[in-house]
Amino acid sequence: MTRSGRDGFTIGWLYHDLMNIYGDRGNIVALLQRARWRGLDARVLELGKGDHAGMADVDVFFFGGGQDREQALVYDDLLETKAVHLAAAVQDGAAVLAVCGGYQLLGHYYETATGEHLPGIGLIDVRTEAGGRRSIGDVVVEADESLGLHPATLVGFENHSGRTFLGDGVRPLGRVLRGGGNNGTDGTEGAACGNLFGSYLHGSLLPKNPHLADLVIERAQRRRLEPLDDSLELAAHQRIVERELARRP
Amino acid sequence: MRRTLAVVAGKTTGALSRATGRGGGTTFPGDVARAIDRGVLRKLAADLTGGAVLITGTNGKTTTSRLVTALLEGLPARVVANRSGANLIYGATAAAVARAGLDGHLRADWAVFEIDEATLPLAVEEIRPRAVLVGNLFRDQLDRYGELELLAQTIQTALERLPDGSHAVLNADDPRVGEIGLNLARSPIWYGLDDPAVALAGLPHAADARTCPRCGASLRFERVYYGHEGIYACPNGDFTRPEPDLVGQRIELDGLDRLSLEAADVRIDVPLGGLYNVYNVLAAFAVGGALGLQPDFMVERMRSAAAAFGRQERFEHDGRRFTMMLAKNPTGFNEILREAERAMGRHFLIGLNDRIADGRDVSWIWDVDFELLAGRSDVVVPTGLRAHDLALRLKYGGVPAAPPEPDLGRAIDQLIEATPAGTEGFLLCTYTAMLDLRALLVQRGWLRPYWAT
Repeated sequence: MTRSGRDGFTIGWLYHDLMNIYGDRGNIVALLQRARWRGLDARVLELGKGDHAGMADVDVFFFGGGQDREQALVYDDLLETKAVHLAAAVQDGAAVLAVCGGYQLLGHYYETATGEHLPGIGLIDVRTEAGGRRSIGDVVVEADESLGLHPATLVGFENHSGRTFLGDGVRPLGRVLRGGGNNGTDGTEGAACGNLFGSYLHGSLLPKNPHLADLVIERAQRRRLEPLDDSLELAAHQRIVERELARRP
Repeated sequence: MRRTLAVVAGKTTGALSRATGRGGGTTFPGDVARAIDRGVLRKLAADLTGGAVLITGTNGKTTTSRLVTALLEGLPARVVANRSGANLIYGATAAAVARAGLDGHLRADWAVFEIDEATLPLAVEEIRPRAVLVGNLFRDQLDRYGELELLAQTIQTALERLPDGSHAVLNADDPRVGEIGLNLARSPIWYGLDDPAVALAGLPHAADARTCPRCGASLRFERVYYGHEGIYACPNGDFTRPEPDLVGQRIELDGLDRLSLEAADVRIDVPLGGLYNVYNVLAAFAVGGALGLQPDFMVERMRSAAAAFGRQERFEHDGRRFTMMLAKNPTGFNEILREAERAMGRHFLIGLNDRIADGRDVSWIWDVDFELLAGRSDVVVPTGLRAHDLALRLKYGGVPAAPPEPDLGRAIDQLIEATPAGTEGFLLCTYTAMLDLRALLVQRGWLRPYWAT
């Protein structure tokens, strides 16, 4: 049973037109196809500025990254027209995957270089500070044990200067074996808490991490999914793991 | 004296590099010459009797530069140009050094340099061009350049510093370029298209500059030609497409080999294909006009311009014809897919690398509409350093594809085997994958080295 009906599966794409800078469509395509390959009647609900109709039926929300200008544009709209509905949907079991800018906006606040606090919607127990050095490059993560992922790695590409710190209420998605992760200092990458997932990884994240894609879907569906033939996905995954681990950290 | 030494050292480096088969020596001589005399390019540029043209933008720099070069060479004039995508300051310096005499002076009347967007301020400062063309600004290699916003700011700063009497020639149909031009104190020369017949049904996913720079509202597109190029306006009236000074109309597209349009009361026929090349042709025409060239003269030059240029190259093997096309970002890739579709291509090799010159981040392949190939291709061979990512992209796009084959040589063999005699295969590659592919084809004797073309 899904939130959008018996065999339905709805992906809510937050700010599809403004927050899609780093190939975020790949995450949408991965969720959509992996649901369809399981026989679900999957669809995408685009949630642009001002939209909130249908948010109560969404199974998985995806919130990607944007350029500074676009991020500033969605900011007010997020607080005014989305936050309440998003919190209600999550309460009701919807899952959320947020990447990069979207991840930052789901936290408590973003502290700018001048010390100003821009409040986020506080759905995930993290806070972000404007950073110094930009982290750019391929990332390999050893997934947090609590996620039970096999293989126990995640791969992606990061490109961010914001430094995100985890609160007590969340686990990291994992620990970086290569790359900067959340803040370049404590070795963590991403955040996970119940149905909520945040990460700095794009590349896109989900196609090369099919086990994470399925975990997000399973958390929203509250049931196990039957396995798919992921040999191509895992070969692509493994190739990056091997290539990056062969490099010096 | 110092400049003479710099030129001689640079020329020697270039000759050695070619003689030892290490490639065309397209940038290294520039490094050497600049190390000896930091002002070498500034001095050489001052020798130009006509002046210099700089060409920048995300896509189409090489083709547009070659068109402008062809126009100027017809004057007649001696034109120095950088080629092969060597478009940083070192590449421009190397090209100038190669054309200088042993007395250290440049033997050319005009320079036409394609310049990387981020290098534009330095190039304007050193070269002091007569005209700068900005063709378009798309998302490209975000890992290297940072965001479009910053890049637009960089270009604007460069244009603000143009010498008096120099022209900024800008594409009115690109909202980012439009924004840059409207912020300038001096009015630019605008060019743009007006032809509903070649417009798309809507904005493609890869389109990016979609918001008003003044109020942030989503721009309304009355017409989209490709990417985010079109006729746009802010719904609140805060920003509109500038009225072009040069309008391209009544466009005719004829496969990969010919396009035609009307502008400035003349019909321009060029042996190049694709709507993006209509923009390149119109841009070159606008630059020529800014430099005082007559429309009839330009029409004649463009018609006779070598068909071999552009980033499209062909070779034949075993009764099959192959077309190679460079694709380096979502918008460019979508246009090339559209073009291959028009040419009824059904056999593809797609090469994706993630070296610095390609962009280390390959996320952008998810913004390309590879779905276009679903049901319209017989074979697609994913290759290059990121062949596996490409294979995944195709799988999720519903495009049946061969297993990933990172080895280019084996991938070419697969493509050849799968392409029936008498048909045409397409090789679509990112920048360094294209260089690797070319090197391999040269090695097999199917292509000439690029410094010999």
